[in-house]
Amino acid sequence: MEINKTVQLEAARALVTALESDNEASVEHQLAILTQSQESELFHEVGKLTRELHDAMNNFNLESRLVDLTENDMPNTRERLNYVITTTEDAAHKTLGYIDQTLPLASELKLTAEKIDESWHRFRMREMNADEFRLLSKEIEVYLPEVKQHSEQIHANLSEMMLAQGFQDLTGQVIRQVIDLVEEVEDNLVRLVKIAGKHIENKPKDNKEVDPIKAEGPQINAGDNPDVVNDQDEVDDLLSSLGF
Amino acid sequence: MKILIVDDFSTMRRIIKNLLRDLGFNNTTEADDGLTALPILQAGGIDFLVTDWNMPGMQGIDLLKAVRADEKLSTIPVLMVTAETKREQIIVAAQAGVNGYVVKPFTAATLKEKIDKIFERIDAQ
Repeated sequence: MEINKTVQLEAARALVTALESDNEASVEHQLAILTQSQESELFHEVGKLTRELHDAMNNFNLESRLVDLTENDMPNTRERLNYVITTTEDAAHKTLGYIDQTLPLASELKLTAEKIDESWHRFRMREMNADEFRLLSKEIEVYLPEVKQHSEQIHANLSEMMLAQGFQDLTGQVIRQVIDLVEEVEDNLVRLVKIAGKHIENKPKDNKEVDPIKAEGPQINAGDNPDVVNDQDEVDDLLSSLGF
Repeated sequence: MKILIVDDFSTMRRIIKNLLRDLGFNNTTEADDGLTALPILQAGGIDFLVTDWNMPGMQGIDLLKAVRADEKLSTIPVLMVTAETKREQIIVAAQAGVNGYVVKPFTAATLKEKIDKIFERIDAQ
């Protein structure tokens, strides 16, 4: 800038001298120098503005992750949260279903036991005739295998209810991912606000390398993705293809 | 037979523990990720390892690799019980020396089948 000023000043002085001495060629020459220097200043300013604009655009590019978050991760999160709703709903229904199945089994055992207990008490008090006793023996004969069968069924139902609680792990993994995403969105928004406030921070773009075996938790739309197995059978097939 | 169950969710550890008890394995112990599991394994006495994949701290796949790399632990059978279902992950687990791979959600029958298979193979050796 200083050099430019000196050039201009010199040209201006030379121009005055040329005008006073009526040196037309020199006047034209000095005018050309002055115009050129002004143009170069203008170009310089335009150049500076262009660079500023470019930098500003680049900084917005830095925030492309934000665009990516909005376009991809947000809809994905909606699916994830829907997965949480469906999974918890399924687990609740499954558990409630097994409870509905189990309660009558327990009530039936209790009712028959009460009836037999009462008859047994009468037998012990010698209040029972031979016919009644035959009936009681028959009832006990039917009841005992029923106890075994019902207990087995109750045990199986309780095991199923226990397995249904696995939803907490599956949905927990998904909710953790959503929490991570919310934190990332928050960070990016803070950076955007900083840029908008002209406190531009030139953070280098983080080139996260994609790890092909990074843990991802439950797959939400497994059916659409050929890279993902859909059930235990497919796991077994894949492993047996590997010589397992 | 002492079994170490590694999962970051206590509910899942409880489910696996109860299922194992139903299968006759009463002696189990728990850890919530690879970092807490390794010292338990190194202390000795663990005959079988059941581990999740996706855990904070040390992941199941790294625990598996650490176990296989440790001279004293390298022969412990490892069953992975996980929601990770990418083909590449299953292949990597197989290459790392996993003995069985069960995907969540699973059934009691699947868990029993895989455990039986692991012990059949060990008995055959």
